[in-house]
Amino acid sequence: MLAYLVRRAALAILTMVAISILSFVIIQLPPGDYITAYIAQMSGSGSFVSEQEAAALREQYGLNKPMYVQYLKWMGLVARGNFGMALEWGRPVAEVIGDRLWLTMIVSLAAIVVTWALALPIGIYSAVRQYSPGDYVATLIGFIGLAVPSFMLALVIMYFGFALFNFNVGGLFSSELADAPWSLAKAWDLAKHLPLPALILGFAGTAQLIRIMRANLLDELRKPYVVTARARGLPERRVILKYPVRVALNPFISTIGYLLPYVVSGSIIVSLVLGLPTVGPLLLRALVAQDMFLAGTIVLLLGVMTVIGTFLSDLLLMWIDPRIRLEGRK
Amino acid sequence: MARQRDGLTRRQFIGHTVAGAAAMSAIGAGPARAQTQAEAPKLGAQLIGKLEGPELVLDPGKAPKKFAEAPMLADLVKAGKLPSVDKRVPEEPMVVKPVHGIGRYGGTWRRGFTGPGDGENGNRIVSTDKILFWDYTGTKIMPCIAKAWKLSDDGRQVTISLRKGMKWSDGAPFTANDFVFWYEDVYSNKDLQPTPNPDFTINGKPGTLRKVDDVTVVFEFPEPNYLFVDILAGSTSMGGGQATWQMSGRTMGAYMPAHYVKQFHPKYTPKDQLDQKVKASGFDSWVSYIKNRWDWRLNPELPTLGPWKTVSPINTPTWVLERNPFYMGVDTAGNQLPYIDRISMTLAENLEVLNLRAIAAQYDLQERHTALAKLPVYLENRDKGNYDVKLDPALNGSDATLQTNQAYEADPEIAKWLHTREFRRALSMGIDRDQLNETFWVGVGTPGSVAPSETVPYSPGSDWRAKWSTLDVKQANALLDKIGLTKKDGEGYRLRTDGKGRLRIELQTSAGAFVPHTQIAEMIKEQWRKIGIQGDVKELERSLFFTRIQNNEHQIALWANDGTEVLYLFPRHALPVDPIESLLGHPIAAWYASNGKQGKAPKDPQLAKALELFRSAGGKKTEERYKIAQEIWKIMIDEQYSIGTVGQSAATMGVRVVSRKLGNIPARQINAQHCRTPCSSHPATFYYKA
Repeated sequence: MLAYLVRRAALAILTMVAISILSFVIIQLPPGDYITAYIAQMSGSGSFVSEQEAAALREQYGLNKPMYVQYLKWMGLVARGNFGMALEWGRPVAEVIGDRLWLTMIVSLAAIVVTWALALPIGIYSAVRQYSPGDYVATLIGFIGLAVPSFMLALVIMYFGFALFNFNVGGLFSSELADAPWSLAKAWDLAKHLPLPALILGFAGTAQLIRIMRANLLDELRKPYVVTARARGLPERRVILKYPVRVALNPFISTIGYLLPYVVSGSIIVSLVLGLPTVGPLLLRALVAQDMFLAGTIVLLLGVMTVIGTFLSDLLLMWIDPRIRLEGRK
Repeated sequence: MARQRDGLTRRQFIGHTVAGAAAMSAIGAGPARAQTQAEAPKLGAQLIGKLEGPELVLDPGKAPKKFAEAPMLADLVKAGKLPSVDKRVPEEPMVVKPVHGIGRYGGTWRRGFTGPGDGENGNRIVSTDKILFWDYTGTKIMPCIAKAWKLSDDGRQVTISLRKGMKWSDGAPFTANDFVFWYEDVYSNKDLQPTPNPDFTINGKPGTLRKVDDVTVVFEFPEPNYLFVDILAGSTSMGGGQATWQMSGRTMGAYMPAHYVKQFHPKYTPKDQLDQKVKASGFDSWVSYIKNRWDWRLNPELPTLGPWKTVSPINTPTWVLERNPFYMGVDTAGNQLPYIDRISMTLAENLEVLNLRAIAAQYDLQERHTALAKLPVYLENRDKGNYDVKLDPALNGSDATLQTNQAYEADPEIAKWLHTREFRRALSMGIDRDQLNETFWVGVGTPGSVAPSETVPYSPGSDWRAKWSTLDVKQANALLDKIGLTKKDGEGYRLRTDGKGRLRIELQTSAGAFVPHTQIAEMIKEQWRKIGIQGDVKELERSLFFTRIQNNEHQIALWANDGTEVLYLFPRHALPVDPIESLLGHPIAAWYASNGKQGKAPKDPQLAKALELFRSAGGKKTEERYKIAQEIWKIMIDEQYSIGTVGQSAATMGVRVVSRKLGNIPARQINAQHCRTPCSSHPATFYYKA
């Protein structure tokens, strides 16, 4: 077991180094650099940059050096726990991401809670009462949820929210509280703003999970052990929840690996549409501005989270599924 | 391709649907299309008021002798934390006569901004830190932080007199030494400023700066530089002020708070002490660190001169500015400006959210990022939100200009046609500008060539707005036939003369401009069917757009020609003179900028003549310069190197959404690069009515 963990950990570190190289290279692939993006942005916003300035800035940021030199310089910093300076923000990368990380996690966790809290019971109900009116309704809503892109849903809800109910548009806080230090009032303000993004983000995932849960459970319900359990006179509730549901959860657990990076980045497009101050829009902006330190760090963070997540889901699977656990022992 | 043709972007989609719905409800049942078209310009005209603005009282005899201050500052004075107002205001203050009347103190001006790249949002509000400025009409030079200026007869010296007793926002005196520090320790420091700046040179020869006494500075040049007063007043790297020219790593602006910046400069602070500071703050070099410290948007401690200074920096969710207790401006009654206490700009992650918030009246005054296409929705909600919408048409000729690459070589056949005058004229006459105006400028733009508004002294006259720039399919076809493009394919498109199929002209556009260039290009492409020209629209991400131009790969690129109304101060969108944005051909711009050492000379004699005229203008006096500019415009329009479409519109920073609670708001304000819109309206005089 310990050897297994050590081997996994070593592999994970190698993977992360590979991820860091890849992310740095990919970010540098598009033509131009941060300064080209900066010039374009200034020109597009009614200002300008002179050629002399551009040259001086390239020199200052070391953008005129070969890519591997820039990479090694960055890695040297990362090794010392400094992720470099976010060029556009003029602040250390760690601070820029740190500001948004907590909010991102809150929004994503809320979305996951919404997804699971809705999907699991509905999925179980649909499977147990297959072809009942309730199943049809759930299926219909499920397919709509799958088919409607969540950014579209966000736009529609936002417009009607404004037009009919005069909702505060976008964001996670009222404007007066956005910059205030944390307080009860601010937490309550966040709680008031949270349901909308959580529902929108959760909706698409819910639909998908309902379908997965339903299909898995249907497979299990027909197996002989369920019949045996019933024949032995176990209460119906116990028959369903104790055995088939537990087995049907398997695919949920194996996707935890992908949930973790989601938790730290959030959904980029929906966050952008709803104006949520999360990591997703930050990544997009960093990519557009070709800010390789900021974008590289976020991509690296996502990679690390995926690696850790996969590792965790392996462990969880072992815990929840005796078959895998026993296989591990052999 | 199909996706490009049919696919509206998400933003346009909402823009169109919402605007469409609103337009219908506004007009009522069963309107004919013609009627809608006739109504739209009238609607626009109602929203365009009379140009007005605050004026400066220049007679020192009429300056107020007693001063009053904002309650928030009076409290500080009482608490002993601030000197009294008569000690804060300069002995020679800038006296502003507000456009409508004396205001009252207080309030927070709510705005939206789009992130750390949106520094101009605040820069333009505090731009009275410029050396000289323009009046509200944008035609007359006015004093600013300099109370007076003098140009020597030979044009080699410009003397600037500062205001006696003027102070930085921390109370330290602002003197000629701040200019000297900038010149000697920043501008002349090779680590900070590797090469001389063109705005401080004449014909490639550098200018110098000299202190005469504490309130007098002289700029000197080895050759006549009559343009330099305009440069000090314009939005240039010499006259543009501290806020704009010392942000994002910039090093210009001609003065700097020496007493504060010295602590980050190796000449004044021991190297090891400085290195420690740099490291502790997470920077990799003193150069990065000092540039961060003198960035007014990032460093709340930095002493500044504008009416407001940063208290919460731009890299946080809310960029907050607060009044500068030492601001040099007072109104005619002696009240120290600004009237408004704070400006709070909240981060909008995208323009859609920003516009929706403006519609929902979450901003008090917003002229930046507000989209012309959303005008109907703004109008529909103005009573609900208690705001007015005012349109401020710009002075430049064309918000979407087709810039033909005059140095293009990659495809010899295409290059030949792009470099043929008749071909360019035909392309221009194949464009239906009225249709573009109705669709993308909701009918409030002015169709025509690239020529600036006739109100600008550089304008070649109103005839030149129309020259070669009105729809004439017949003449366009005749021109194309005449130059030998006679063969057509089955669909009616003209064929290349080298037998390689259909003649396809690439129209390169960029995503995310103030007006939707890609959709405009798509419509032009449809219009060109009638003259048998196939346009291929290519939308690129902004930085790729510029990279392709730098690599001399574009055929025709679409971009606004903003700033060209002051040709000499901002020529890059009109002439190929600046390698950074060389829309008419990068090799030519490189050739011009390097005095012929790099790049390639223009092959076209007319273009060469225009560039020669332009180079000669810097050493000429004002009236002569106007004539030369008119001459240049005539060449550029006759040749149609740049094909204008629709301009003089409110599309860029001209849709002003103003709360009805605000006072001293001009009915129309000048919308131009050199006037730092809205700064010529002196935002320091805006106030909240009771």
